[in-house]
Amino acid sequence: MFRHNLAYELKEVLRVKEFVLWLMLFPIILGTLFKVAFGSIYTKELFDTIPVAVVTASENAVAEEFLKGMAEEENPFLAPEFTDEENAKQLLFDGKVEGILTVGESMELTVSRTGIVPTMLQELVSRYKLYETVIRDTLAKDPAALQTVLAKLSAEVNACRDVSPSAENPDVYVQYFYNLIAMVAICGNMTGLHVSTNNQANQSQLGARKNCSATPKGIYLTAGLLGSCIAQSVSMVLCVTFLRFVLRVNFGGNLLLLYLAAILSGCLGVAFGFFIGSIGKMRHEGKSAIAITISMVLCFLSGLMMGNIKGILATKAPWVNRFNPVAVISDSFYCLNMYSDYRRFISKIVTITIYIAVFTVLGVLFTRRKKYASI
Amino acid sequence: MKPTVVKIDNLVKRYGELVALDHFSLEIKEGEIFGLLGPNGSGKTTTINCLLSLLSFDKGEIEVFGREMTPTSYDIKREIGVIMQNVAVLDELSVRENIDYFCGLYIADKEKRKACVEDAIKFVGLEDFVNFRPKKLSGGLLRRLNIACGIAHKPKLIILDEPTVAVDPQSRNRILEGIQELNREGATVIYTSHYMEEVEQICTRIAIMDKGRKIAEGTKDELKGMIRNTESVSIEILELPEDVREKIAHLPHVYETDYDGTKLTVRCSGGRHNLIRILAVLQEAELGFGRVYSELPTLNDVFLEITGTALRDSKE
Repeated sequence: MFRHNLAYELKEVLRVKEFVLWLMLFPIILGTLFKVAFGSIYTKELFDTIPVAVVTASENAVAEEFLKGMAEEENPFLAPEFTDEENAKQLLFDGKVEGILTVGESMELTVSRTGIVPTMLQELVSRYKLYETVIRDTLAKDPAALQTVLAKLSAEVNACRDVSPSAENPDVYVQYFYNLIAMVAICGNMTGLHVSTNNQANQSQLGARKNCSATPKGIYLTAGLLGSCIAQSVSMVLCVTFLRFVLRVNFGGNLLLLYLAAILSGCLGVAFGFFIGSIGKMRHEGKSAIAITISMVLCFLSGLMMGNIKGILATKAPWVNRFNPVAVISDSFYCLNMYSDYRRFISKIVTITIYIAVFTVLGVLFTRRKKYASI
Repeated sequence: MKPTVVKIDNLVKRYGELVALDHFSLEIKEGEIFGLLGPNGSGKTTTINCLLSLLSFDKGEIEVFGREMTPTSYDIKREIGVIMQNVAVLDELSVRENIDYFCGLYIADKEKRKACVEDAIKFVGLEDFVNFRPKKLSGGLLRRLNIACGIAHKPKLIILDEPTVAVDPQSRNRILEGIQELNREGATVIYTSHYMEEVEQICTRIAIMDKGRKIAEGTKDELKGMIRNTESVSIEILELPEDVREKIAHLPHVYETDYDGTKLTVRCSGGRHNLIRILAVLQEAELGFGRVYSELPTLNDVFLEITGTALRDSKE
């Protein structure tokens, strides 16, 4: 009887249009949109050498040495083109250079627009001016101290090094894809909710019919939950596979663990829906609205709609991130990708498992009753 | 004497202050088509839900097949088929899959189940729709599917809770004939309805319910025998002098006359040739009249006389 119930549960769930749309097609569409939107932003944000025109108004050995240094590194910051003022303006006008550096007694910057690159150039020129002043003052007051001053300036520059905790992908925009997977997982509440509604006599005629049958409640309830978890796992695997192999989102090397985390997260969604469905006598539509609202709020708090919300919460209310199941799911993917050791990942997986257990046990406690006071 | 299939003793069910079942007792014998007749809200569905152990109750005892009925009486439930008031099927499964699914809640053996499913499809006449989803079926066909899901496992006791609500006359007749056929095949049937014609047509014994109480029980003839009215004569007449009406009122067996300006209704208790005697009075007074018809009492008259309210007029 268990297999009979499980087979039909799977048949039914996988044919529900809402399930196919929201848990299988929607993530694919949203993931593609994320890729189009954030993929290009990320590419643009990658550092490219900045082309600049350099106009020498008067000899300045320090400035020239500085610019030479900026152009000679392995990944040069600047690509200077030494030219006259008129040609420099034309290059700027044509968009072939991002700015004009006029080297005279000091260094001046001319740009034609605002944005990240002009701001970077502005910062570079300000820094140069500061260092130049320090060096000139040192030369004038205590030339012997020049080496020490240069060393200190160099040390200041090297104080902030880009350190990756693992060899994996530190791309911040992958976070959106983690949140997308977490959203698909928590939306598994749809199927969990159906299991709860369809098996309780005071919730649906279908539940009443099943309660009258010769099959014990535990059997069709367990089959329903297992069937929903299997169907949800299919949608999780589909989602991760699409993001990883079609959109080529870099989730790091631990793909098997990623799939495991995704499947467990899907089960959390099902358990969450089952729990919501088991509380009170409200109609299915009402409970569904509650489950969707809670899910969307949790998704928002984990950064699906606003990337920096998690950071804000981390400083203002860190307990929200710790207890928000969607944030926990998303963090589990992040930990898997970012950290070489599995300590944090295991901790997140344990939290997810606890959530599944708590929601399922509470749901079973609420739905296990055999007789109802009213139907 | 045939064995008792269902025994309900002194059942009390309260919803807060409202008493839904007030010391309700019932005994149904094997092979009966037992009708529970009453207006909406009279307690029919509550009785069925208590009988099926879906609802808790405050007092009383329920036995089915001679054993106490509890939520875990799976051996008893295996012998019961339930057709709910509202259609309860799975929207995403086809007609055949639905019947197979519900049948599978009673029968584990695949081969046996397959035969039962085919029988049920044939029985309700859904052979041409086996691959249809419920949403593609008309109201009547959907009701038939609902019935097939409830009877596919060939239960000994079939409970039908208002199965013909919102069903077209053709499907209704088919359903009623089907119930009688199931009964002929050996099933005991409990049929609840507020349509007295249906109950009168198929039930071998009837209990009339009102406000959670059983107000009468018996065969339809026994029930009709409980009331004074044995015949109602109606005559369309535009002019009826008071002395003529008085003369009719004093005829033997006439106990009530009612004239509304266009129609005279004469209620008689017992006796024969009442109609001829009434018409003779009108002819003697040389009064012209239109259509004349005589009606035997219905279950509605029984309900009316016992409760003072017509069954059809009772509040929903």
